[in-house]
Amino acid sequence: MNELRKGFHEDLDEAKSELVRLAALVTEAIPRATAVLLDGDLEGADLLIRADDEMDARAIDLEERCYHILALQAPVASDLRQVIALLRMVAEVERSNDLLCNICKAARRIYGHELDPKLRGIISRMGEQAQQLYEAAIESFVQNDAAKAAAIDDMDSYLDGLQKQFVQAIFESHAAGRIDLQVAVQLAVVARFYERIGDHAVNIGERVRFVVTGWVPEHKGAERYRRFVEGTGQIPRIDDAMVPPDDSGEDAS
Amino acid sequence: MGLLQRRRQQPVGDSAAIDDARVDLDAARRELIRAQVALDSLPLGVVLVDHRGVVVIRNARNVAGSGHGDVLVQEAIDRLVPTALAGRESHTSVELYGPPKKVIQVSAAPLSDGGAIVSVEDISERSRLDAVRTDFVANISHELKTPVGALAVLAEAIADETDIDVVQRLSVKMVDEAHRAATAIDDLLELSRIELGGTAVSDPVQAADVLGDAVVRSLASAEQRNIHIDLDEPAALTVRGDRRQLVSALSNLIDNAVKYSEPGSDVHIAAELVDGLVNFSISDHGVGIPSRDLDRIFERFYRVDRARSRETGGTGLGLAIVRHVATNHEGDVQVKSAEGEGSTFTLRIPVAP
Repeated sequence: MNELRKGFHEDLDEAKSELVRLAALVTEAIPRATAVLLDGDLEGADLLIRADDEMDARAIDLEERCYHILALQAPVASDLRQVIALLRMVAEVERSNDLLCNICKAARRIYGHELDPKLRGIISRMGEQAQQLYEAAIESFVQNDAAKAAAIDDMDSYLDGLQKQFVQAIFESHAAGRIDLQVAVQLAVVARFYERIGDHAVNIGERVRFVVTGWVPEHKGAERYRRFVEGTGQIPRIDDAMVPPDDSGEDAS
Repeated sequence: MGLLQRRRQQPVGDSAAIDDARVDLDAARRELIRAQVALDSLPLGVVLVDHRGVVVIRNARNVAGSGHGDVLVQEAIDRLVPTALAGRESHTSVELYGPPKKVIQVSAAPLSDGGAIVSVEDISERSRLDAVRTDFVANISHELKTPVGALAVLAEAIADETDIDVVQRLSVKMVDEAHRAATAIDDLLELSRIELGGTAVSDPVQAADVLGDAVVRSLASAEQRNIHIDLDEPAALTVRGDRRQLVSALSNLIDNAVKYSEPGSDVHIAAELVDGLVNFSISDHGVGIPSRDLDRIFERFYRVDRARSRETGGTGLGLAIVRHVATNHEGDVQVKSAEGEGSTFTLRIPVAP
């Protein structure tokens, strides 16, 4: 590499590789957590929960490394975007692993309770879908592929659909007396964990788009807000219907 | 410097020497390409690093087969290389949960020139076979010893019992356990007969006939569980083979479909011709099979849900029988299933010419 800032680019590449490795660990842990939940595997649960310490340590190291790059190399333009994106992504990855630990903890709480095949089926499909989202997120990051990153959002809507279907199945199973209330609540929370893992994958995809194109999803909502303030000269109140009804998703940007 | 000087001293236009050099260069290039092609065609990943740990050669084999799997394998390689460069061999294995589950072994060894070589091998099949072997022993002893053990305990209890009601209750249980042991032995014998015998018989068999016979065998249990068997009137299709074996395979599939269906649901059975194969398909709306068990259900005695196996009965040999019948008839058996939604098993047998 015949360039002035060889050391800097090596640092940046190593930081990117580490993020990819951490994301790969999460991708691999998703089906494991699902198996822990479905098989009531307490030993596996313990293993995954303990492995989170390594994830935390490595995430902190990676964050530190990014701060070093920022402080010592003062990157600009796309290099700067990459470092900023890495800082955001490492938090997403670390949080996803925490959610997997939470799934394992839920598995401990419902240990010994039988689940309907229908519930089990949806749980394993949620796990598979969350894993696919994460796989796509890493690929889009490694290949710097903004189009693939943009597709993750649409893939996530399938996972959201599964979560809704699962909550419905929990109601049915509880109404039929096959699971008690405590298990039903734990399962509903588990569904939420999978759904959140999918959202984190979507966020990683959005950061990839930011690296490649400079686009951030928050721009849309921020633009709405600015237009309102400029147009009316006031800060919007809650009843000011600034957000059109069809745009008010839970994770509206 | 010396080399440069020598070259300059050579008479200009010594075309023979230049041609020789070119021939040597071409030969070397061909050798290199040949070595690379040979390396690429190996069934394992090979990475060669020099004494500084820089990759010199890497072949094209992608063992993990998934994005994140490659990353985890690479991480294992990076971890092993320093040990090998320090002169010690080391191994590790990377388990990918899948599905399909994969076990990848990464081994690094030092080379005499100070570098190191790392090989990456997919040992999934080997570790699967290990699991099959150990599970087989555990399962066969469970299936055969449990009823025999129960018989012994029940017989002891009866010997000391004077109350006629209790004796009656215990002997009913003894009969159940004796039937269970007998079924297991019958199935084992059937399986070994099918395994050893192959298809000695090769009669023309009507698809509709074997399906009809197989359905009749399951009618009673279907009625008992309030399950409706929905049999599509099959077209006039003929296969060649052993009628008894085919009926046995199909009735095993139908029996399973009935056993694992929700009461009140339908089991759909059909036979159709697809690409020169008669596809006998049996679909249910039952509990379904978890995706990671799908590649193991055809093993002898393999149970998806051990806890449930006693209440559903059966010996765990049914699907092994089906697979053997399929192979004996140069066909195969396929399964599609989603847990909680149901399963479809398709037995595919070549149509008679």
